[in-house]
Amino acid sequence: MRLGRSLYLIVTLVVACCMFIATLAVGQNSGTAEGVLHAGYVLPVCSVFVAVGVILLGWSWLRLAGAVTSIAMLIKDDRANAIGRGKGFFAYLRKTKVDELCKAINEYFNDSAARTAEYDKQIKDFQVQIQLSHKREKNAEAIIYSIRDAVIVVDEYDRLLMANEAAGRLFKFDFKKSQHRPLTELIGADHGEFAGFLSHSRKSKSQATRREIEFLEEGDRKTFDCIVSCVYDQSRQVCGIVAVLHDVTREKQIQQMKNDFVSHVSHELKTPLASITAYSEMLVDGEANDEQTKKEFYSVIQNQAKRLNRLIEDILNTSRIESGLIKVNKEPVSLTMLIEEQLQMIKGCAEEKNIEIIGQKLIVFDQVYVDKDMMSQVIINLLSNAVKYTRSGGTIRIATEVDEAASLARVIVTDTGVGIPEDEIEHVFDKFYRVGANEKQAKGTGLGLNLVKQMVETVHGGRVFVTSKVGEGSTFGFEVPLARRQSAGIV
Amino acid sequence: MADKRVLIVDDEIHIVHVVAIKLRNNGYEVISADNGAEAFDLALRDKPNIIVTDFQMPVMTGLELVEKLRQNEETKNIPVIMLTARSFAIPQEQQENLQISGCLSKPFSPKELLGNIEDILYQKELVTDN
Repeated sequence: MRLGRSLYLIVTLVVACCMFIATLAVGQNSGTAEGVLHAGYVLPVCSVFVAVGVILLGWSWLRLAGAVTSIAMLIKDDRANAIGRGKGFFAYLRKTKVDELCKAINEYFNDSAARTAEYDKQIKDFQVQIQLSHKREKNAEAIIYSIRDAVIVVDEYDRLLMANEAAGRLFKFDFKKSQHRPLTELIGADHGEFAGFLSHSRKSKSQATRREIEFLEEGDRKTFDCIVSCVYDQSRQVCGIVAVLHDVTREKQIQQMKNDFVSHVSHELKTPLASITAYSEMLVDGEANDEQTKKEFYSVIQNQAKRLNRLIEDILNTSRIESGLIKVNKEPVSLTMLIEEQLQMIKGCAEEKNIEIIGQKLIVFDQVYVDKDMMSQVIINLLSNAVKYTRSGGTIRIATEVDEAASLARVIVTDTGVGIPEDEIEHVFDKFYRVGANEKQAKGTGLGLNLVKQMVETVHGGRVFVTSKVGEGSTFGFEVPLARRQSAGIV
Repeated sequence: MADKRVLIVDDEIHIVHVVAIKLRNNGYEVISADNGAEAFDLALRDKPNIIVTDFQMPVMTGLELVEKLRQNEETKNIPVIMLTARSFAIPQEQQENLQISGCLSKPFSPKELLGNIEDILYQKELVTDN
């Protein structure tokens, strides 16, 4: 700027000098006294005045331009200190209007900067909160999606907000295609009870309600434990509902099996106990008139007490085998001898029902390395089962086979009983299982055959098997390893 | 004593035997069956004054027997005492609907059973006389 001003002054002075010289030259050329006078005095003076005027005008313009430039610089650079230099009229202008303007601008910029900083901080806070919220939402979604129970979230108008895969499977909808659709449209008329439960919970505004609801899933009836909780807004209005459906079908089945077991066991325990109580009361009251009757009563009491003990042992053995706490005393035992003993025990029951039991022919070597008590129980359970389900006049055969090559002994019990339906055969060794069609045929706990399987397979490493035909009879049997002659001390 | 005939129904032969001795010793005529179906036929044929039946039996349960008895004109008014070894009692409403006169849980006292039979027959006689 300073260079510009200096250049301007030099140019102006050169112009003024040129004009002065030119004026003098014009005066001399005119050749008159007046021309000389004009050329010598008037024109140079006028030229000087014009030059001075031009200089002053240019100078003022330059100063004004400088002031404007300074303001522009001030605005641009935000440097208040730039103002205040210079003197005179423009300095006055700067010190008053421009200073005020700059001050205002400065304050504005200061305020703006502070506000901008505050806004930046708030924006950053919001961004952090949004990120956190987004993360929490993702976490919540991940948790809900990883839950095996069906989870459904609806808004206050019962429109679907969220549902996990389990819910989609249960109600047969695709969540991505179903979001914001009314739940009643999605779950269909089959689940009307569930929809009604949601509606009731929303109306009652209850925090958490629970109900067991049955659903039909691919033809199977399933029970779900449904917990429905209302979601409230700040004004305590229900703004949504969360429903969690836990499949309790298996638990219900187990509970039913337990109830059936308790009922059966209770019945089985009470029956011999009833005989013991009644006969002993009769003896105490002197109702047995003669020695023969008394002896008969004592015998009944003794047999029923044994029956009661067997039943309790069955229950305990099942429990012991399952928990691995049963004590096993294996020794070489002749299967033929064991069968003979058990036949004597079951003989009375068979005769009562007019059932013939045909024993096996003697086998030379059928020694097995087993727990004698357990093997006796296996055989008596199979025989008593055959007696139970064979009608009067029927026949039961028991035989043993020895497979030297496989080093196995096999016991086979065949009856001419009621038989087992084909679809139930695979379950007959299950604990507490009783063949539905034959349940009325005889009483039982559903433990006997399960105990046979546990004792043969779990304890002795053998195998049980069954074949049956309804109306013709059944064949139950088992295989256990033969005792080694050397280890058993038999030659 | 011809009018004091009792039908005992139980698949447990020892229970039938002991109850029969108790009742015979007290002047009753006893007939017996080991399942509901056979008991119904006996009830139709012999017209017992009272029936003592077990709840859980093969072929036909005690409850099914009572239902069948109530549906038949000739047997519908025979009083029934139910013996049960089940872990739960028969609901009162069901007892009333089937006109079951009494329930005894196993193990039971033959003396108590005799007392119940006498009470029920006495009340029945009173009703008949009036």
